[in-house]
Amino acid sequence: MKEAVKAEEDEVFDVELDIDILKANRKLAEENRKLLQKNGVKAIDIMGAIGAGKTSLIEKLVEALKGKYRIAAFKGDLTTTIDAEQIAKHGAEVVPINTGKECHLDANLVKKALKRLDLTKIDLLFIENVGNLICPAEFPLGSQKRIVVISVTEGPYMVIKHPFIFADADLVVINKIDLAKAMQVDIKKLEKDVKIINPNAKVAFTNCRTGEGVNTVIEALRL
Amino acid sequence: MHEFSVTSQIVGTIIKEAEEHRAKRVVQVNLAIGKLTFLGLEQVRFAYKLLTKGTIAEKSKLIIKEKDGTVKCGKCGYEGDFKYEDNPIYHLSTPSLKCPKCDNIVDIVGGKECTIESIKLVTDKDENK
Repeated sequence: MKEAVKAEEDEVFDVELDIDILKANRKLAEENRKLLQKNGVKAIDIMGAIGAGKTSLIEKLVEALKGKYRIAAFKGDLTTTIDAEQIAKHGAEVVPINTGKECHLDANLVKKALKRLDLTKIDLLFIENVGNLICPAEFPLGSQKRIVVISVTEGPYMVIKHPFIFADADLVVINKIDLAKAMQVDIKKLEKDVKIINPNAKVAFTNCRTGEGVNTVIEALRL
Repeated sequence: MHEFSVTSQIVGTIIKEAEEHRAKRVVQVNLAIGKLTFLGLEQVRFAYKLLTKGTIAEKSKLIIKEKDGTVKCGKCGYEGDFKYEDNPIYHLSTPSLKCPKCDNIVDIVGGKECTIESIKLVTDKDENK
């Protein structure tokens, strides 16, 4: 065996780096925010679990607001454009974002999607994230407001089990309230849980099948 | 949740840095990870081990310092830990954005970082001459 290599004192040295790996996304998000602001586009994130009703909410919002604003939507999904087509039917310009295998949108994907739109011809942009209550909280995209959609079919503890995404939300939409009784979920308790984590967040109750409560979402967003 | 991709960026960054310094080996990496990130330290360590294999950072020491989540109150000036709402029934401690001192809404100011603070390199003594 050969003699072991030993580092001498003067050969070892420290390099101060101070590089934040997560900062890159935050910086891109800030660029997106500025670009949107410059063009007078109000951008709103829609986050929530799979099947909570994010797409249905956007459909109802587009339907109600298309006379007042020129609307576009980004629709994040692993694959397929099923939801994107669903939203486009209502008259919004839709850019599907297929993440492939990633479980969330990031600021870079949104930046690319923004290039597909003529921002001077848009007033309002909905950015629907991939169905997930964990990862999207880590990656800001550059929107002005963030909505989290939950539904009573996800059970009574949805909020307290995922506190961090609610800490970042401006509005929490509790959907499928028509099923609350059958699911034995107390929607007032869900609202209370939201308020404990984030007293600033507004809460709206909806049934996005019928459109019940969608007007309260519009009011809360001041649209 | 994104330990592998984040760690792969970390490893890429330190190797690039080491090469720029003409280092022979990376012996230590000091990371600071905020508790409000969704990074599991165990998974970061595991990914680090895998990703450094066969590189000049193989077998380097990974030191992770956990950073607390901190909030700041715009009203009373409080800066520090979150207020937690405890619920022993669910073994739950929910962080709240209410100021522990005055109940005003606070801003999150720390705990979301994942920073490579410094690295320790070994260079060839002869090469530096």
